[in-house]
Parts: sequence; structure tokens; C-alpha cells
Amino acid sequence: MDLLEYQAKELFHQMGIPVLPSQRIAHPRDLKGLKISYPVVLKSQVRTGGRGKAGGIKFVENTIDAVAAAQAIFHLPIMGCYPEVLLAEAKYNPDREFYLAIMLDSSTRRPLMLGSRQGGVDVESKLEHMQQVVVDQEFSSFYARRLALKMGLEGELIQSVSLVLEKMYNLFIQQDLDLIEINPLAVSTTGELMALDGRIVADDAALGRRSNIAAFIATIPDTALSNLTGTEKGKLISDLKRVQLEGNIGVLCNGAGLMMATLDLIQNAKGKTASYVDIGGEYRHNCPPETLQERLQQGLDLILADKAVKAVLVNVLGSVISCRQVAEGMTFYLRNRKNTPPIVVRLVGDRIEQAAELLAKSKIPMTDSLEDAIAKTVILAQV
Amino acid sequence: MLFTSDSKVIIQGIKEPLGAVYAPLMRDYGTQVVAGVSPGHAGESLDGIPIFDMVEQALATVAADVSVIFVPPYEVLDAALEAIAAGIRQLILITEGVPPLDIVHLLRKAEATETLVVGPSCPGVIVPGKILLGTHPAALYRPGAVGVVSRSGSLTYEVAHELTQAGLGQSLVVSIGGDRIPGSSFQQWLQILEEDDGTEVIVLVGEIGGDSEEAAAQYIAEQIDKPVIAYIAGQTTPKGQAIGHAGAIIAARMAGMGADVGTAESKLKAFKQAKILVATSPWQIPELVHQVLQAQQAQQA
Repeated sequence: MDLLEYQAKELFHQMGIPVLPSQRIAHPRDLKGLKISYPVVLKSQVRTGGRGKAGGIKFVENTIDAVAAAQAIFHLPIMGCYPEVLLAEAKYNPDREFYLAIMLDSSTRRPLMLGSRQGGVDVESKLEHMQQVVVDQEFSSFYARRLALKMGLEGELIQSVSLVLEKMYNLFIQQDLDLIEINPLAVSTTGELMALDGRIVADDAALGRRSNIAAFIATIPDTALSNLTGTEKGKLISDLKRVQLEGNIGVLCNGAGLMMATLDLIQNAKGKTASYVDIGGEYRHNCPPETLQERLQQGLDLILADKAVKAVLVNVLGSVISCRQVAEGMTFYLRNRKNTPPIVVRLVGDRIEQAAELLAKSKIPMTDSLEDAIAKTVILAQV
Repeated sequence: MLFTSDSKVIIQGIKEPLGAVYAPLMRDYGTQVVAGVSPGHAGESLDGIPIFDMVEQALATVAADVSVIFVPPYEVLDAALEAIAAGIRQLILITEGVPPLDIVHLLRKAEATETLVVGPSCPGVIVPGKILLGTHPAALYRPGAVGVVSRSGSLTYEVAHELTQAGLGQSLVVSIGGDRIPGSSFQQWLQILEEDDGTEVIVLVGEIGGDSEEAAAQYIAEQIDKPVIAYIAGQTTPKGQAIGHAGAIIAARMAGMGADVGTAESKLKAFKQAKILVATSPWQIPELVHQVLQAQQAQQA
């Protein structure tokens, strides 16, 4: 999960990474009590990149200009997101701008430190300057110096940049981050360093043991849930999520890979998915197989609440729960529901004949072939 | 072969919800489950499997080669280090939600001790007819000569099911897990299957996100002589709308770094360059397997 810039900078500050004096602005009138002296820069606090180019960053010289600029930024959507707060920060005139980052690298399966002397907004177009060092063993400061040297730094900058990198690495480990980035790291004519902008991506899996990060994230409106109505939210006992697309087929699978494959196959068969719910969780230590019934019913709740859905495909594979039990759960769930769109059930495994019999009584088509299931669903959605 | 019906297996977290369900299923499949470990439960047993407080105590009584780990996510690193310290060199991590930096930590230790790590967040390994190390639905598998290595869970079952339906059994099926930092790589398993006499053809099941398919394609071109068939899930997933797996999500975020690594196009291109056939659906995989096997027989004849 991405933190906002001001949150990242709070963590930088706690770790001793230099940041400018700044103040959070929740409303344009807050600027009247600004404690930083002008000129200041006002920055939209959204989780998407490209703020500067979109007009989400403005330099102002006095309160009148600042209030007008703040009003404009609050009303400026960036990639569809409006800021809840702005960050007002002292203006800084860098001599040079560096790029520093640490991320998890899946090919080496180690943390990877990245650095470039050509930082700033155009860093992506200057990737040829990007240097990298893999932290293959337990971290020690020399990894940071190795990167500083590869970046072509000399003199005092070797130690000062290495020290920032080391602090970034400490944050990376202590807070279980997926990414920590400083861009730009400003360098003044006297060699002073300043983190002008920062990005932190916290690891979702570790949030349960990083309460301060979880608290930061709790302040950010959850976009994933915002497309659900209030009553649906109340029903979400587990963390099942409906993902909305623009077709007319609802899809329910257990597992991300099977879901992606099923969506591919629907599209290849000229079907269009309206929404999907992954009811997986087969490897969650506290989610034994007997919870499948419950997950299936919650998933159906979410899919059937999508009025665009004209046909539903349920593709559940490989659970310890027998096909008969899944079929029982489905028929029980649908017993008291009226006007549900047609549902195609694809099941494979134990007690499949009994499942087929049960579902046939409720007029729910069942097949053990994925190819058939896809074809049937696509046809039913066209009716 | 790495895992045989002679392998002796312990279950860490045998009293956890998943461990309690799957330990008896593994044993019923013929796996020699010699002990369970769950701190505070020494002296108890589960379906006749004796339980110990620590791995080292279990190993004082029984010998074991493999540990299958079902403990809660934040305890996986510790359980794995405990098993390594006790001398176990093959670890299967089933639990989902292990923080990736824990796996980085574990891998430094595992590499130094030549320990094989499968998972986390995966159904483990099955050698059909011989041994089940994890949660694969054994009914969908048959013994045979197709080795399968996959990043997915239930999609692996789908592929195994399609192969079985088409009369193609499997020599070994492993899911390395969909996490960004898996305990073992595609390359490691491609090498294992290349060296396995029981494997004639390899099926690689990948998905969008990350660069592991691209790396695997290059490795296959350089190091693997056996025929390989690939399948990639998520080819129609809109960019930036990754599903579920952390690997897919972060790749979309990192897309700001410029390269198109992680997209379906990038992976398909990599496989094409390595002259690897890519199936367009799970049910096309058996067709392609037959095709390469026939081509091979024709060549040998």
C-alpha cells in the first residue's frame, strides 16, 4: 500500500533523513496560520504519480496566492483522485537532484538499492544513469558506499549519500517496506542533502505487525471499498472484494491464477466480464477448507449485488470440500432468492455425480469441463 | 528424484487449522508423516501422528527429511529457521501472507545451508502415486511423465486436471507460490525436472507480473534440453489492474520504471524468442504436450 508523501516524510524525519519544514493543510483557510515562511510549495497529497505535470504542485509567494492555489489543488483530480490534504513545504533551491531507492527484487530475491545522479521528474527517461547494488547478504554500510561509488560520487558526498541510503535501508527493514524512494534528493551547492519528495510502499502482508503504518493507511479513504453501497459494506465479514469491469458476466473463482485464466478464457470466447470475486484463501493458515461454503455465499452476495450481471460463472477447484457439499451450499443459498441471473457451476473432484443431481433439481447447469462452462456462460449472458 | 515415497516428513503447525486438515490427508496419500510439531502439544497425537513441542525434539525420536509448515504467517520464518537448525534441508511453506522480507532473511540462511524452500503461499509438491507434500487435491493427479512447475495454486490443479483427463500423468507438480519473493525459482525447478529421469516434458504455468517468466524463458533456452510448454494467465488483464497476487500488483506499480517487464506481451515475447510453445488455454496444454512428445519420438526414430 502506498503512503502519502507527508506520511513518508514523517518516517524519513523519525529516521533522521533530512526533510524540509512542512505543514499539513486540510483546508485553504489553514494557510492563514502557516508557520513556514514564504516562498512555499503546495503539494497535492494523492497516491498517484505525475502530480507536478498534472498541476498538483504550485509555488506561492504570499497568503493570498496560497489560498487561491490551495483551492485550485483541492479541486484538481489527479488520475481521478482528489486530495484530502495538501502539504505546504518550504521552497528549496537544489544545485543538483539525485535519485535513491530500495526495493524488493524478485529475480535476485533480495533488496535492491538503486541510485542515479540524474534524479528529478524525468528520472524514467534517464534510466541509463541508474546504478544498482543487490544486498545479497546481511546489510552493512559498505553496500551503500558501493552504490555511491557506482553512481560516480566523490569526496564527502560518498559518505553523506551512503548515510542516507543506510537510513533508508533501516526504514525498509524496520517497517517491512516494498519500496522506499527519494526523488529528488536535493544536493545544495554546499553539499547539504534534502529529501524533497519521497515515496513509501508498505508491504500489505506485514501491516498486521506494523501498527504505525497501518494507522497511516487507515487515514487514506479506501478506494477498493468505495464502489460498494453501505449495506454491502456491512456484510463484508471477511475481506472478499468485488472488482468491477464493464461487461455482463459475474465470475467467482478460488485463487488469483485461476481467476486470471478464467477471465482470459471468457474474453477469448467473446464474453465480457462485469465483475469478479476471488473467494480464494486456501493457504490462509486460519481459513480451513470448511469456510469455503461461507466464502462462496459471500462471493455470490457481492456478484449478485452487481445489477450489470446477466450470467454468473462459478469456477471452484480443488478444495477438500466435496462437490456435493458445494452444490448443497449453492442450492441452499439460492432457495430463497428470486430473479437471480442464470448461474453456471463448474466443479471437479469428489462426489461430482451427486453434485450434478442436486444442482439439476434447482435447474443450475453444472459441468466438469472449463471449456463448456465458459461457452455456456457466454451464451447465457447474451440472451 | 528429490522427493520419493521413502521421504520422511514432519508437519510444523499440525494443530493449526490447515495443518490439522492436511496432515491426515498427506498421510492417507502414502506420505510418511513421522511427526507433528506444535509448541505446547507434546505428548498428544493427531490421527496417530505423534506431536512434539520442537523440531529438534521430534528429530531425537524420528528421522525426517522434509518439513511442511502450516504455522501463522509471522511465525513462518522462525519455524523454517528452527527446522534448518535441526538439520532439515527441504522446507515446504504453505501459509499465505508471509512478509517478503522474512523470506529474504530465510533465503540467506537456506542458501548457506543448501536448503530447498518451496512456497510460501502455495499448495506445495506432489509426486503422483508416491508423495503429497502440501494441499494439492490428489484426486486430480495421475502418475506419469509430465513435470509441472507453476506460480499459481488452483490454476495448477486445473492444469493437472486437464493433463490427467487427456491421459497424461505427472512426474512431479510443484507450485512455487505467487508471492513476489518465492523460496525457490522457476529455474531451480526446471533444473530439477531436467535432471529427473521420470520427466519427459515440462509444463511451466506462469502469470503476469514480475519477471520470473522472462528469466525462466532465457534459462530454458540456455540450459534445458527437455521440451517445455508454457501457459500464461492474465493475458487480458487490463494494465495496472492486477489480481490478487502481490507480484502482479507491484509490477504494475513499478511500471513507472520504464520497462514493460511483467506484461503478458513481454512474457509471450520471451517465450517466443526461446522457441517455447505457449498454450492459449489450459485445455490446449495436453495437445501441445502430445505434439512435442510425438515430434521427439519421430526425431528418435
